Amino acid sequence: MLIDIKDLYKIYNEGKESEVRALDGVSLQIDKGEFVSIIGQSGSGKSTLMNILGCLDIPTYGDYHLDGTDITELTDRQLAHIRNKQIGFIFQGYNLIPALNARENVELPLIYQGLSGEKRRERSEEALERVAMFDRADHKPSEMSGGQQQRVAIARAIATRPPIIMADEPTGALDSKTGRHVLEILHSLHEEGTTVILITHDNGIAATAERIVRLADGKIVADGPREEVGL
Amino acid sequence: MNIRQALKMAVKSISSNKARSFLTMLGVIIGLAAVIILVSYSSGQNLAMKAYYESQGTNVLTVSASDWNSSRDIGQELYDYCQGLDEVVGITPNGQIWNDMTITYGAKTLTRNNRNGMMGAVVVGGGGVMVDGGGQQEDHYPTIYLGNDQFGLCNNYQIAKGREFSYLEIEKMSQVCVLGSDTAEYLFSFSDPIDKTININGRPFRVIGVYESKAAKATLGKDDENSYWIKDSIKRQDRLLLLPSTMTRYFNNNQSIDQYTVKVKTSDGMKEVVTALNGFLPTIVNQYTGYFYVDNPNEWKENQQEADDMQSRFLGGIAAISLLVGGIGIMNIMLVTVTERTREIGIRKAIGAERRSIIIQFLIEAAMICGIGGLFGIAVGYIGTMIITKMSFGLVIMPGSGITIGAFAISVALGIIFGLYPAIKASALQPVEALRAD
Repeated sequence: MLIDIKDLYKIYNEGKESEVRALDGVSLQIDKGEFVSIIGQSGSGKSTLMNILGCLDIPTYGDYHLDGTDITELTDRQLAHIRNKQIGFIFQGYNLIPALNARENVELPLIYQGLSGEKRRERSEEALERVAMFDRADHKPSEMSGGQQQRVAIARAIATRPPIIMADEPTGALDSKTGRHVLEILHSLHEEGTTVILITHDNGIAATAERIVRLADGKIVADGPREEVGL
Repeated sequence: MNIRQALKMAVKSISSNKARSFLTMLGVIIGLAAVIILVSYSSGQNLAMKAYYESQGTNVLTVSASDWNSSRDIGQELYDYCQGLDEVVGITPNGQIWNDMTITYGAKTLTRNNRNGMMGAVVVGGGGVMVDGGGQQEDHYPTIYLGNDQFGLCNNYQIAKGREFSYLEIEKMSQVCVLGSDTAEYLFSFSDPIDKTININGRPFRVIGVYESKAAKATLGKDDENSYWIKDSIKRQDRLLLLPSTMTRYFNNNQSIDQYTVKVKTSDGMKEVVTALNGFLPTIVNQYTGYFYVDNPNEWKENQQEADDMQSRFLGGIAAISLLVGGIGIMNIMLVTVTERTREIGIRKAIGAERRSIIIQFLIEAAMICGIGGLFGIAVGYIGTMIITKMSFGLVIMPGSGITIGAFAISVALGIIFGLYPAIKASALQPVEALRAD
């Protein structure tokens, strides 16, 4: 079991009138090599779930084991290492650093890994080639289209060769053709053995996954193959 | 993340915001330039002062006494009285011949060079030493003193060759003289001046002694440009011609000498001797027809030192305040930077940056802004020092390497100290919250 969460709660303003239960007792298991789509309407708690799965946020209550490690007991530093080595993030808004060019953005997680300059260059070029962005390596984000920026963001996510890719609405800001291309890249990564967790509100995109988890009001309301979930 | 990467990122960040980076640096530039100028200025002043005092000798009193209506020999009575004081080492009249003289030996002639005539001395006044910047052709015309057998002792001159006057030579108005080292060198070059005869306004005087050079002995640290001008001022004290005090009858229209220099054994004895003289002088000087005054330079030297210390503290305070203001500017701009780059911090944390990496990155950025500002500040400080010292007392005291390295270190430290809070603030951001920032 790669990801194992039990009775996970994320509660804002607990005990107050304005209490919000973004996650309300979620339990979920994901095995190595799965391609899981998490769907739900806006406000259903899917982004909160991804933030917790990606160690960007901590749950209010509940257990989370990642590859056997109890995440809730780790220090800031250990969490940073997990984000760096185990998980590759792809965000809806690309989240590239504007002052750095494509290559430098892709190299950033490798810098935090302490890799040598030569090794970094090798890995970043490999990742950029993988997303067909090698020829734009010296361009800054402001000089690229949305689709190109997202491909660079994917290159950054895969440069560290993480076992898990988490993508939060990766196609949300892209036209359908570019979106399809991004999706193709995710599927090819999955074919190579990477676990992919895709968060989306788009049923069509979610339907490309082998397993779909549907969230509503912070709870899992359906979990299974496409037909079972009703897509 | 290693330091090299952090440095590269800092360069990128600073250069992507040039105008703001420069404005931030401005605080450090002004602060540091102020520190350098003030420190150089006051250390220059202290150096000049100290060298001057040392060349004058220590524990020396100046006594002025005169009574136009008295037939008493005030000089003689003062001399006799001082001989009886335990604490007194020596006393000499300290007269000068102000009229222009012509001093000759063989083909060599010394006359006052009018152009430099008034500028050939160190002027002490208003609490500061002013040293003539010079640059003019050297004027060897000596100051002509009228003194006795204890002149050298009282005025911190040591005999290099020959001897001082004898008591009898003073009494008998013998036509003998003692030369300062510069004067001897000018008139005699390499030959021995002792027992040679020079002419002063046509009157022959036998040279019986030559004093050691004060300039050669002056302790001014290493022989760099800093000390050159001060050394020059002390060198002027080597331009000296000493005649028996009784010669005042020939050269000063028989005016009696009213200036005396008293050398005291210890600085503790100074006050005692001043009290004794202030008790004795009214008994030989009529307060209605004459005057007397005992000047204790130790006292105003102490006052001077105190004033110097106060000035140093004051200037140091101003410099510290300007650096503090610069530092606050750094902190302010770094806090703005952190707020502006919250999302970037979130991204970095999401892809694996530890708190330490974020702190190092922002600290290096702050230190680099300050360090670059520091280099500019040092340059401005050097130029400012040159202008200000040249304007104020004609000599240029350049900041030493200690001050320069220290100033640079201070500026980098400033960046680290004032960058620490913003850096810690940045590193403490939760990744998910930082990513939500616009």
